[in-house]
Amino acid sequence: MRYLLRNLGFYLIAFWTSLTLDFLMPRMMPGDPVSRMLAQSQGELQPDQVTQLRHLLGLDNRPMWRQYLSFVHDVFTGNLGVSISRFPTPVTQVIGSEIGWTLLLGGTALLIAVIAGNLLGVLAAWRRGGALDSVFPPLLVFVGSFPYFWLAMGALYLFGLTLGWFPLNHAYDVTFTPGFSAGFITNVISHLFLPAVTIVLVSIGGWMLGMRNTMIATEAEDYITMAEAKGLSPRRIMFRYAARNALLPSVTNFGLSLGFVVGGALLTEVVFAYPGLGYQLLSAVQALDYPLMQGIFLTITAAVLAANFLVDLVYVRLDPRVRVR
Amino acid sequence: MAHPRALRRPVFAAAASLALVGSVLLGGCAGSADSSTSDLTGNQLLTIPREDFSTFSRNFNPFSPNALPMTDQAIYEPMLVFNPADNKTTPWLASSWKVASDGRSVTFTLRNGLTWSDGQALTAADVVYTFGLQKKLLGGYTYLAGVKALNTHTILFSFNKPYSPGLYDLGAQVIVPEHIWSTISNPSKYTNPDPVGSGPYTQVEDFTTQSYELKKNPHYWQPAKQHIAGVELLAFDGNDPANLATIAGQTDWADQYIPDIQSTFVDRDPKNRGYWFPPVGSLVNWTMNTTKAPFNDVNVRKALSMAIDRSTITKIGESGYATAADCTGLTGGYDAWRDSSVASSCDWTDYNVAAANKLLDEAGYARGANGIRKLKNGQPFSFTIEVGSASSDWLSVANIIAEELKAVGVEATVKAPNWSVVTSDYADGDYDTGIVWSDDAATPYQFYQGVMSTAMVEPVGTQTTDNYNRFGDSKADTLLSEFAASSTEAGQQKAVDGLQELFSQDAPVVPLFDGPQWGAYNDTRFTGFPTAANPYATLSTRTATAVLVLTTLHPVVSH
Repeated sequence: MRYLLRNLGFYLIAFWTSLTLDFLMPRMMPGDPVSRMLAQSQGELQPDQVTQLRHLLGLDNRPMWRQYLSFVHDVFTGNLGVSISRFPTPVTQVIGSEIGWTLLLGGTALLIAVIAGNLLGVLAAWRRGGALDSVFPPLLVFVGSFPYFWLAMGALYLFGLTLGWFPLNHAYDVTFTPGFSAGFITNVISHLFLPAVTIVLVSIGGWMLGMRNTMIATEAEDYITMAEAKGLSPRRIMFRYAARNALLPSVTNFGLSLGFVVGGALLTEVVFAYPGLGYQLLSAVQALDYPLMQGIFLTITAAVLAANFLVDLVYVRLDPRVRVR
Repeated sequence: MAHPRALRRPVFAAAASLALVGSVLLGGCAGSADSSTSDLTGNQLLTIPREDFSTFSRNFNPFSPNALPMTDQAIYEPMLVFNPADNKTTPWLASSWKVASDGRSVTFTLRNGLTWSDGQALTAADVVYTFGLQKKLLGGYTYLAGVKALNTHTILFSFNKPYSPGLYDLGAQVIVPEHIWSTISNPSKYTNPDPVGSGPYTQVEDFTTQSYELKKNPHYWQPAKQHIAGVELLAFDGNDPANLATIAGQTDWADQYIPDIQSTFVDRDPKNRGYWFPPVGSLVNWTMNTTKAPFNDVNVRKALSMAIDRSTITKIGESGYATAADCTGLTGGYDAWRDSSVASSCDWTDYNVAAANKLLDEAGYARGANGIRKLKNGQPFSFTIEVGSASSDWLSVANIIAEELKAVGVEATVKAPNWSVVTSDYADGDYDTGIVWSDDAATPYQFYQGVMSTAMVEPVGTQTTDNYNRFGDSKADTLLSEFAASSTEAGQQKAVDGLQELFSQDAPVVPLFDGPQWGAYNDTRFTGFPTAANPYATLSTRTATAVLVLTTLHPVVSH
């Protein structure tokens, strides 16, 4: 219990530090949002309109410390402000409208990559030197080292445009209304297929290799030899003894990756026109939209910290050696 | 140690995943909307992609800088529509107008029977209220002294000085309903999710972050012109995915930049697809900071202008879609105003390296030992060209210019940070040269005012949003007031002739090419798009003429 509380304390300090950095970083970037808008309007804004716009968007020069205090206050009252690049939509609405798709895409791809990668890694390590072990790790790492956008665009061109097997863009066809009907769900899956598969392809190599290496180290342990001597079936030893112990580093990595899913998959979203937070963050940075940038950074920070905390909890359950302090 | 039983699990998993893939493919095929010829019921929606909105947030507030597409084109309407492609003005909410002979007021008369989409009548009170709200929230209209409703259908706009270009400026303002907006406590922060407008398509349906539909206004004032069932907007993250959807035939009308449009877009279906890029956008020019030597020397500006080849620039930088500018500074949209005697005697906008070298030698910028010229203070003649990194075509233009300047012994480096940094530098006067847009309006008044008027010049260090070259000629001021004060076309033309002559003499900026108005169409599902042969509007979905297109298109119906 004390272990948990102490951990929680560390997490709160980490949260506060990232909050402060979150506030400072956008303001350290050169330029300001209104200049950006002016460039976009290309000579259609009058001079006094620009001053008015600055006032409207709350960009008059309040002292920095005052902005910081109201920022911290707003964060804890759940008010993330109003987006500048999507004025006057509140930041919570912008993030809320897209976080669902981000989680769906990132979560699905991550889960498939983790499960498939770890399974393959376990099998490859168990039958070390066999066909699976010799071919797959180098093949998957090779595929994974292609530039992601090249892979994504190639897949879209081949399967989407040329063969027409998959849709070209968006999360679902505009003719469907969102709901839990079978038609809508299959439509969402067909739109999700190519983006998720391309992400899985580039990331699965890493999971497989990591699991395989940990498995090989675990197989050298004494208790594996003991289990074999006792006559347990190889499959039982592989899954219930070796894999379970080799899983621990993967769990930690999974936790980290889970937190970053919220940051969105920028390149996937651009290539497949999939709605999500990744491109939102890019356009917020380009428009110097301080509130939206802060809001998204905050969401990512909170998600990473929460995921890490959960992993810590799970780890305590999984690995008894950690409990003894 | 191989054991046959250990193999079954992976094989089973493989079989299961194949089955899943199979069902997904079938489900996907069955569910995908076939946007080709099977959809010709007459109720199909006009599909338009937007590459500048990666996702849609429900904001139809016309006073917001980020209002959704079609807010000012399909939902709200102005009093008149000016078409830069043929220079014609179509009366819209106003049936007629009268400019006073002293140029100090304009009177608009609204049509009879105008209604909002909720059934209430559109009257002069709405117009008066709109201008008041616009001035309060966003400023502008500095020449406007007062707006008064003379009766339910007539509005009088009084100016504080003679200002004939005011007609088009005022006429382009979209009108909002007073009975809705006067009840809102904070109009600038209102997202207007269910807009009440006077336009042809005001009913928002099926709003999602990736698309939304606008259906017919039940009380539209020209119901006979609502041929199409509605408009559908699709969101994309940038040009590439929007272009992919356009090329695949998922959209009917697109106005984003499509490179190599003939072979990538038109050739896939030349019978139904086409494009038209009239040169009616704003002039793109090479702006020089005239407060810094040597750019304060008109001979230097003219010599540098002669050192660059505008045909290469438009061919390589703009894929051949733009038209090179001449020494009047006027774009193709102002062809009717162009003074042919000035245009035909242009010399400093023609590519002539020998003349450029000669002019620089004569002006006192001799070459040094390494071939690079020296400034009057002994420093080498080198400077930077600033342009925003996001505009890849303008970046190419800047690089071409830098390359070509080597032939005249001048060193230029291209600096391409983010646009907001570049615009800040322009605003503060903290730059050497840059590739910049210019002011664009119904008449050339705003353009010349923006590059030559002393009224727009601010000292270095004071922020400005206009006249980045910080050049003013008092003769321009006189001509501009003459233009503003004249109420006849002949008087205005005389003033513009003088301005063209002055521009050619002073070279306040180096004109490069006119920004083309992008536009591509696919008439498989809708016919009646404007073309070069029928320029009743441009193919832009983002300017005022879009409403002309929306009320002219007919759906293709197959029985």
